[in-house]
Amino acid sequence: MKKILIVAKKEFLDTFRDKRTLVRMILIPLLAFPLIINIMTTVQSSEMEKAAAKELKIGYVLNNQSSEMIDSLAMSPNYNFIAYTDTAALRADVVSQEINLGIGLTPTFDDDFNAGNQASFDLFYRQADSEEYDRFNVLLEKQEERLINKRLSEKSLAPMFIKPIKINLLNQSSLKEVIGKYAGGILPYLFMAFCFMGCMLPAIDLFAGEKERGTLETLLTTPVNRLHILLGKMIVVTAFGLISATVALIGLFLSLKMVKEGGEMMDVISGMLSTELILTLYVLLIPLAIFFAGIMIPISVYSRSFKEAQSILTPLNMAVILPAMVGFIPGIELNATLAFVPIVNVVLATKAIIAGNIEMIPLAITFITLIALAAIAVFISVRQFGKETNVLR
Amino acid sequence: MIKVQNLSKQFKLNKKQRKESNATGDYAVAVDKISFECQPGRIFSLLGPNGAGKTTTLRMISTMVSPSSGSAEIAGYDIVKQAKEVRKNIGFLTGSTGLYERLTPDEVLKYFADLNDVSKSDFAERKERYYDLLDMHDFKNKKIGELSTGMKQKVSITRTMIHDPSVVVFDEPTSGLDVITAENIIKLIRDCKTAGKTVIFSSHIMSEVDLLCDDLAIINKGKLLYTDTMKNFRAQMQTESLTEEFIRIVREN
Repeated sequence: MKKILIVAKKEFLDTFRDKRTLVRMILIPLLAFPLIINIMTTVQSSEMEKAAAKELKIGYVLNNQSSEMIDSLAMSPNYNFIAYTDTAALRADVVSQEINLGIGLTPTFDDDFNAGNQASFDLFYRQADSEEYDRFNVLLEKQEERLINKRLSEKSLAPMFIKPIKINLLNQSSLKEVIGKYAGGILPYLFMAFCFMGCMLPAIDLFAGEKERGTLETLLTTPVNRLHILLGKMIVVTAFGLISATVALIGLFLSLKMVKEGGEMMDVISGMLSTELILTLYVLLIPLAIFFAGIMIPISVYSRSFKEAQSILTPLNMAVILPAMVGFIPGIELNATLAFVPIVNVVLATKAIIAGNIEMIPLAITFITLIALAAIAVFISVRQFGKETNVLR
Repeated sequence: MIKVQNLSKQFKLNKKQRKESNATGDYAVAVDKISFECQPGRIFSLLGPNGAGKTTTLRMISTMVSPSSGSAEIAGYDIVKQAKEVRKNIGFLTGSTGLYERLTPDEVLKYFADLNDVSKSDFAERKERYYDLLDMHDFKNKKIGELSTGMKQKVSITRTMIHDPSVVVFDEPTSGLDVITAENIIKLIRDCKTAGKTVIFSSHIMSEVDLLCDDLAIINKGKLLYTDTMKNFRAQMQTESLTEEFIRIVREN
């Protein structure tokens, strides 16, 4: 036991002195959440403001019809209406993005309208720039409402005449549940990604790296049991996975403290980060980190060099990231079957805890599955590290 | 004291290796039934061309790889059954030995002293002795990555000797070093002899062997071709120089 700690202590010191490791395992996770939240709150809202302030150019062809509708639309700010005489030119300008949208009144527009029928016009738009259409559509809907009310009042009918039923929507789920269901997957996803990244560099450096630098040979001639050397190193690999995830959590807390304008949404998110959630997250994350370490170490032990190990482990990243994305799909929930699938089970369990509807049996299966996988991974690592052909390759 | 008896090592080849080496069987024989003895207070040299099986032999002696058959005793302990005791008694140094670049000499020495169960007082005393002897005081707290090759070599030497091993194994210890840096190693090997330790070193450089060794063994393709004292080797020489004699023995067998 004492030897395991001597090895672990030295590896901690060695890893903490590596600048590359510190940046990737501490700085990036620490800044990740503040950056994401900043982008979410400030950049996005300023983009929306910018879009609203942008002038929309709308071309129109009257086709000898009255300009009444265009004139009333043109009273809204940030719109520039440009008259065209030719529909073909109008369309071409929409295509070339010279103007944002194009209106072409039909030749019977005025007659249809005055007769109390449905008058129609063509609207040339680009689906690729659907936000322009969406913005204009709000204006059109207001216009339509005004015209409906005008027609109704001419017939001496109240505006509610054409709305015989009104639905009063009464939401019975809390905002916490909503966020849990739709955004709850992001939190465990990011923790897992950071945990994986945190494990990866030390896993490569402590085995393949040590082999490449010619220090492993010396270590193996000391009277320390190989199992103890492996466990000492494994503690460090696992610990760095957890450190990365923890640093990311600290980053999340800090950014929530900083963002005050987030309003109710941010209050709910910070309320979700309960002690209970964080404890459960760690209970699941610890065996998961051991499992990560246990799949990386045999690969690193087998590799001849840092580069070789990295080139094998980097694609493995995808194998973790993709199943973790299951958490983003609404509707998939933790059940007794999915609880056996590593990574997916952690994401879904965390999501359920956030939403406040976790069930004990799938949670217990998740935990036992992770412990079993961690044990298998440690066993494989021990066997690989014991093979002289791997160690001295 | 090192006693090697009929020691053999076979490596299982995978498909790719079989293709590369044009081997017919599933196994490659790296070391084939070799026997020799190294006495305390004498320097034994294991001589052979590249790929002769020198490194594999020394790795078996140091318990890093286990033999396929045969046996060896190091300071009275069996390399298979008492591997831990063997490791306590050996110091191991190769020309390609690396050090932890982000640690300082002080930290590296402490690490290996702790791993070897060296007592605090013994550690302090030995460290000071080597720091004085090799003039290492100036850089003991600098990161190893910032040191010159010569300085690193001094750290490696101290690291090898920190647990005061009775048997010292050197695998091509001077490869890649200039003569000035290599001189430290040569001096270390001589000091080990004076201190009554058993020293075995592998080399393919005859001048080094000529300078240092008391006994020698020549191996090629895993087989022991010759073993005797250096004195007898010189007396029985059929060619003009030691190098020529070495080449002759390797070629004729």
